Amino acid sequence: MPEVRFLTRLSFRTRSAHAFQRGVGHLTAFFWVLAIVFILRVLMRYRIRDVAGVRSRYRTLLKETDRPLLICPNHLTMIDSAVIAWALGGSWWYLFHYSRIPWNLPEYNNYASQWPARVGAWLTKCIPVIRGGRREDVSRVIRRVQHLLSRGETALIFPEARRSRSGRVEPNAVAHAVGRILTSVPGCQPLCVYLRGDRQQTWSTAPARGDSFYIDFELVEPKSDHSGMRRSRDFSQQIVDRLVGMEEEYFARR
Amino acid sequence: MTRDEIFAKVVEIVKPYVKNEDALVAVGDDTNILEDLKVNSARLVDIILNFEDEFDIEVEDEDADAVNTVGDAVALIQEKLA
Repeated sequence: MPEVRFLTRLSFRTRSAHAFQRGVGHLTAFFWVLAIVFILRVLMRYRIRDVAGVRSRYRTLLKETDRPLLICPNHLTMIDSAVIAWALGGSWWYLFHYSRIPWNLPEYNNYASQWPARVGAWLTKCIPVIRGGRREDVSRVIRRVQHLLSRGETALIFPEARRSRSGRVEPNAVAHAVGRILTSVPGCQPLCVYLRGDRQQTWSTAPARGDSFYIDFELVEPKSDHSGMRRSRDFSQQIVDRLVGMEEEYFARR
Repeated sequence: MTRDEIFAKVVEIVKPYVKNEDALVAVGDDTNILEDLKVNSARLVDIILNFEDEFDIEVEDEDADAVNTVGDAVALIQEKLA
């Protein structure tokens, strides 16, 4: 089996910046976690189907593994990550398990124009990424995620390169970064998550107000006989393929 | 394999992914694959995997980070072949 390398070449300054961001986020979590849940639950009137069962399953899963967890969901709206985090954890639980609030990699240009959004993103464990940006910059973001996972944090990254334009998981739209993270952080395990609002026909900015969400998740163990980039590519592809399978199961149950 | 042969092969591999074909006319070492040739960043991985097949080399993710220009790609392949 090819050797798995672990790279955490972050400067002291970057590591300090992470610690500061995490510390301030943690100190203020009571306010922003509850605010986000208030927006999702009260203002947007979103509901998660069998939310107690989902959270119970997630907590059981976390008790059974101490490996770094990379959440890999399908991607239809710009607030998928918030809905998924809320569905899996719940506000009070996160206040006592702050490391389980996933770090998220939003597209910088989606929110950079407004400073309150930038502050909000910083507080809520976001690391901005410019999709299609310079390789060194993307690589720096990946190293930051590797570092965080190695510190016991949870991260969330969409294995499709963008929100699905067809409304279905697109097996040909694969983000290489997912596999790259998985192959470089020892023991890192992907949690495939399939989320869909009942009224979600295709991609959008946000789900319809009052929508009810189906969520399912599954730990997977990607395998590859290759090494190097091909191994990372195999891992990414297997994650997306599993999401395709979970989507088929969703539609079969409807 | 000479540097010129590697260069020619690299251009041939990159060509199907190029959106700005005008830039191919004057392609050189300094031509940026993403910015000048307008190759989709996600496709850069496919291109590098094609390099692996064509030149029978293995490229690590970190090696690929250094590939911005056609000249970078040629240098990487030369290094792997050495």
